[in-house]
Amino acid sequence: MNSSVPPWRATASAPVSTPSAFSSATPAYIPVHARRSLAPNQANPPAPYASQPTMSTPAEAETRKRVEFPPAVRTYVQRCFAPENNIPSVTTAEMQEKLRATITTAAENQKLGLIDWERLALPQVMIQNERNKILANPSVSSWAMSSQSTSPGDSSRKRKSTDLHQSETGSPPWRKANHRNRFEDRVTYPPTEKKPRITLDDSSKSRANLEMRRKRFEGVGGSHGGSLSSSPTDSPAPTTEVDQGPVIGRCQALEKNYFRLTSAPNPDTVRPLAVLRKTLDLLKKKWKKDGNYGYICDQFKSLRQDLTVQHIRNDFTVIVYEIHARIALEKGDLGEYNQCQTQLRVLYAQQLGGHPTEFKAYRILYFIYTRNWTAMNDALADVTAEDKKDPAVKHALDVRSALALGNYHRFFQLYLDTPNMGAYLMDMFVDRERLSALAAICKSYKPDVNIRFITEELGFESDEQTARFILDHSTEKMLEEKNGSVRLLAPKAFTFFEQAKAEANRIVDIKGQI
Amino acid sequence: MSTLALQFRDAYINGSGPALAAVLTPIAPPQDPDRLRSFYQFTNAAYLSKDIHYALFHGKGVKISKAEQNAWVDVFSAYWEAAGEILKCEGHHPGASTIAVFNTWKKLANALIRGYSGSSGIPAWTLPCLYTVGKYLRTFAIKADIEAAAQGSAGFGFQDDIAADIDKNANLEEAARIINRMFTLCLSDRAPIEESRKWGIYNTTNLLFKTYFKINSVGLTKNLLRAINASSADLPPLGAFPKSHIVTFKYYVGVIHFLDENYAEAEEHLTSAWRMCHRGAFKNRELILTYLIPCHLVTTHTLPSQRLLAPFPRLERLFRPLSNCIRKGDLVGFDAAMSAGEEEFVKRRIYLPLERGRDIALRNLFRKVFIAGGFEDPKDGGPPIRRTRIPVAEFAAALQIGNHATDRSRVDIDEVECLLSNLVYKGLMKGYIARERGMVVLSKGGAAFPGTGV
Repeated sequence: MNSSVPPWRATASAPVSTPSAFSSATPAYIPVHARRSLAPNQANPPAPYASQPTMSTPAEAETRKRVEFPPAVRTYVQRCFAPENNIPSVTTAEMQEKLRATITTAAENQKLGLIDWERLALPQVMIQNERNKILANPSVSSWAMSSQSTSPGDSSRKRKSTDLHQSETGSPPWRKANHRNRFEDRVTYPPTEKKPRITLDDSSKSRANLEMRRKRFEGVGGSHGGSLSSSPTDSPAPTTEVDQGPVIGRCQALEKNYFRLTSAPNPDTVRPLAVLRKTLDLLKKKWKKDGNYGYICDQFKSLRQDLTVQHIRNDFTVIVYEIHARIALEKGDLGEYNQCQTQLRVLYAQQLGGHPTEFKAYRILYFIYTRNWTAMNDALADVTAEDKKDPAVKHALDVRSALALGNYHRFFQLYLDTPNMGAYLMDMFVDRERLSALAAICKSYKPDVNIRFITEELGFESDEQTARFILDHSTEKMLEEKNGSVRLLAPKAFTFFEQAKAEANRIVDIKGQI
Repeated sequence: MSTLALQFRDAYINGSGPALAAVLTPIAPPQDPDRLRSFYQFTNAAYLSKDIHYALFHGKGVKISKAEQNAWVDVFSAYWEAAGEILKCEGHHPGASTIAVFNTWKKLANALIRGYSGSSGIPAWTLPCLYTVGKYLRTFAIKADIEAAAQGSAGFGFQDDIAADIDKNANLEEAARIINRMFTLCLSDRAPIEESRKWGIYNTTNLLFKTYFKINSVGLTKNLLRAINASSADLPPLGAFPKSHIVTFKYYVGVIHFLDENYAEAEEHLTSAWRMCHRGAFKNRELILTYLIPCHLVTTHTLPSQRLLAPFPRLERLFRPLSNCIRKGDLVGFDAAMSAGEEEFVKRRIYLPLERGRDIALRNLFRKVFIAGGFEDPKDGGPPIRRTRIPVAEFAAALQIGNHATDRSRVDIDEVECLLSNLVYKGLMKGYIARERGMVVLSKGGAAFPGTGV
């Protein structure tokens, strides 16, 4: 009985068979052999065996006569076979094959003395990385990525110390939120800064891409990716790669398209923290300059992904999520906003800095919008006495209680005085609350009310806007001109607004909701 | 083993489900503290099924079909394995792990489910076994989750984001899936009702409710209710089920509605749970009241009496200060009581409905204004009529009561109108506001504040 083994490890220890074609490739090339069987691939060029005493192959004696291996190589080989370096998903045979290929290539090219054997990745790691690379990012070769590191993107060293939204403009952001929401913003352009790739051989590469794409999907059905295809909650046993700790990225490119991972990430396409910091600066600049949300969102998603796979959790992580959340908020992308919000909650719990109260306030406003009372209860339980002193949190709590009690007077006062970017969230439900307020007003005032009063009470910008809003939800007959002012015939209009209110109060459902 | 086998035979011959279930408990009964150990030690893995088969069915006495015998042997083999892990834990054995206990208990649950679902398998009268196994499955899952959390996270998965608390309840979620199979097992039984597993439907539902609440997936409970509703035609009436199943079921359905702010329906279910609940079940009665009282406040605007709360000092402390302020129309006191109890209210998820009590407090306060307004001169010697035209300013003055004189006093008249408007809209007050004249015109003839006598 494997009593001490947690369930997710227990199954993961089952041997994972992988396309053996990968084992023969060197890192720079992309293999094109389709996997046909589980047997080791025979298509390898039969390399002269350059093995080490620990490997008892028949060719051993022969090799030793020819080449005398430096001690660094010997220790390298020893490391390869050390049990602590064993990776369950890579079989010993695959590893040996790779090791052989590596040493042989080095020996043939007279590089045995040039390679830094101490730092060179172990063959099992190489195999794994190759697999990952193929699975993770078929469209970008590692060469193309690294060639970008010297692109003009680098000139964005001037890091803005201010937060993105604060440096925007002087006027309240929600007043012009809608102007930017044009069609082109919703279109994802191909990244504009991409340099022409250094191509090895276009035709073969695209074929290779296709091949890799095919493999990726094949893997999902096969034994290797079996547990990945199901939803995360269904699979109690993630594959072994998951448990192997963080990846350390080597990619130097600032920009990267987002691509959903279906297997462990490849370090060659993951950007280390130092690069990511520059990326963030670049993205902030671009957002200010172009305001292309499709592009920015994509970039931020890949940025977040790189942070996650490298297990980077620090103040920078918080900043990234905060900025992405704010941008998503500004563009009304609540799905993305909500993802960031969920993550931020976890990050704040770890005391990594950032602006926890600002986002606690958003969270409350968000649940008002979604009318998710169960979640609201949880959010309220999260608010500490200390938080309540924060103006943003206090504002959000006041908004909630004003609405709970139907105090529209107070609500619209709060609406006109919303800290941070909360107004974007409030904009989402302000019309709904206007309808509720109008229903109450129509029920309780007689014989009519001046729409001036409604304009002031319900935070409209002008009487025209008020009149338009009323007409949108009722008929012309509900308005009457008297003594030079327009008046709403409250009792008559009641049914219109009562109905519109019910309509507007249907539960809002947003994907990714907590 | 002998005692265990004996108990099994006895229970089986008597056809007593509960007695049979008592055999499968992971806790040795007090009168036989070594039952689990002696059962575990009577055989070993190699001879397990043979020994169990012999002990349970050898000799005359119990007449059981071959298929059912095999099912029971499977069940008791799994039970034996689980017993081994449990004993390890009880003895603080170095290899002991609650995760292992959960995993072996899971096998037991699966073996039992298989036993029921097979043709000519285990009969329905033994369902209490399923309840017992399900109940402990949940308990062990919770313990296993605690142990797993202590061991550290299982890694990040291929998530794009960090989401740390995804697998916090991994074991309990798995338990929920298994209990869900028990639920389906009961619901989908097509056997004639006398020998149907449908009798287990509410017990398994309750267990599943409880589990979903614990993993914060209250939303999933809706699926169960939908499934039960869909086959309600085939189910016996609620009254035919054991009361213990129904009380718990009603309580949970009530709370589910409560959390969705469907207070009317919540009240209905909670009330029937309250009526049926055994008078000795103090904790359950307290739980029901915790939600029923706020419901009542919202739906009928009534407050709990002293007599009702007298046996429940905790609830008395929770609700009394608030109730007093509502009764007196003391807004300042109400706000203070709300913030004093906030933590507890929020924790119990009753903050939102209680907050609505402020409307009642406000109604009571404005009612006082109305009464203080006195009577108009009677016309033609008729009975005196209350003054029904009240300046908004008088209501504004009432709102100042309790506020410190040095506060930035001046109540905003527009806000007062807003509060009045709300009371009218909600039907707590009858009348209208004539804004231009700064007047509130209330209904005549004792209908200004419906239900309060004036």
